[in-house]
Amino acid sequence: MNEPNPQPPVIPPGTLNLGDSAYAPLGSNPNEQIPITGILTAFEAILRQPRRVLFHLTQANAKNVIGALLMIFVIASVIYGFVAGTFSGHDQLWAAPAKVVLGLFISAAICLPSLYIFACLNGSQARLYEVAGLVAGLLALTTILLIGFAPVAWIFSQSTDSVVAMGVLHLSFWFIATCFGLRFLDSGFRHFSGSFGVGIKIWTVIFLLVVLQMTTALRPIIGRAPTFLPTEKKFFLSHWSDTVSDSNKAAGKKSDQDYR
Amino acid sequence: MNPSTATPTATHALPDILRGDTKHLQGWIQNWQTRQFAFAILTIVIGSSLYGAAVGLWRAPAQACYVALKMPLILLGTAFGNAMLNGMMAPLLGLQINFRQSLLAILMSFVIAATILGAFSPLMFFLVWNAPAFSVNGSGSVHASILLLDVFVIAFAGIAANARLLKLLRELSGSRAIAMKLFFAWIAVNLLLGSQLSWILRPFIGSPGLPVEFLRADAFHGNFYEAVFNAFKNFLR
Repeated sequence: MNEPNPQPPVIPPGTLNLGDSAYAPLGSNPNEQIPITGILTAFEAILRQPRRVLFHLTQANAKNVIGALLMIFVIASVIYGFVAGTFSGHDQLWAAPAKVVLGLFISAAICLPSLYIFACLNGSQARLYEVAGLVAGLLALTTILLIGFAPVAWIFSQSTDSVVAMGVLHLSFWFIATCFGLRFLDSGFRHFSGSFGVGIKIWTVIFLLVVLQMTTALRPIIGRAPTFLPTEKKFFLSHWSDTVSDSNKAAGKKSDQDYR
Repeated sequence: MNPSTATPTATHALPDILRGDTKHLQGWIQNWQTRQFAFAILTIVIGSSLYGAAVGLWRAPAQACYVALKMPLILLGTAFGNAMLNGMMAPLLGLQINFRQSLLAILMSFVIAATILGAFSPLMFFLVWNAPAFSVNGSGSVHASILLLDVFVIAFAGIAANARLLKLLRELSGSRAIAMKLFFAWIAVNLLLGSQLSWILRPFIGSPGLPVEFLRADAFHGNFYEAVFNAFKNFLR
């Protein structure tokens, strides 16, 4: 017979998520002090040991970690952008990856100063490069998760002609991935300031709105157009309303033709 | 006041001031340094100019340049225009600080406001860049959207800056009552002058139906409060 009270397997701390051990000082676990030496280790760390990334963002090698996170973001964005581009093919195979990388990077750069200000107003001791590191982590984690969704997105893109359906699907994937990215940001600010204050929640809304608007400013990302960038300026709600309306009209015409 | 309060270096002081760190807030006003004073002026000029340029850009590039000049003029005009009055009110209302210290306290709050405005300028620029281009007819809703966001951002910057000023006054006076009295007195006179300066230096976003110009032809006719009163009277008719 087995032992009456077998010991449960020991789970190494800091390797699961941002949960219970998240409030211990950064670096208190020796695993968190293992250096992040390149893109692959950064990739593994941001997924499995986010506290290790946070710890190294406060160390002298923070620039290398930020660089690795940004490289992950670029590679992952290009891959996901390519998958998004397969919906239309042709020029979109290179245009969509370029727009995904540029759009997310510019959105983050636009929002970085206000995040730093909100963090300071919330009493955070984080320095500007640490906040930049958290944003790089947000981008890296978001786009890594988008790669996870890429096969699903590809299957759908090959089986539908509806730009609206694909747009909703991509936005849903992006939203889910961003929620995980924001958890990383939240965890970082809990260490730097003890809380994820109201200001930073407002910043989250601003960031989401900026990215949504960026998808309209850099359109089309999934459809096709004669020019790389749009010639008409629109707010994203107006663009979505027009796109849905055009799609309904096209569906109505097709239905009429089928009936005849 | 604590004489051992640390004197922050100018550039490192900004994040500490934004955080509302009491030690640094007190250090900011206790030790007059030319570099620190110059840093405050420079921060106000750069932060508010960037924001002003972003707001004015929707109407025309010339309007962006004008507003980039006018925004720092309003902030600095208000701070220096009321400096003497603010300095007099402090001891009268129970806070024993000198003229320089009262000026630095007001400048500190304007530095915070200008820094917030500067940090929001990329967002404002992004909104303006995405807004449908200006046209004489049919730009009303875009003008209103920019105006609305402008009001929100300026209100946020003002509230955050004044919250820090109130905190500083509480620390300096050691009395909530004195701090509140002085705070509201300073706010009242700054609002009085600031709103009139804004009225004189209009337009900022630029009304779609009016030309781009540095000052309106009737800039020195009437005042802000008269205009509000007339608007209220018309509303009641």
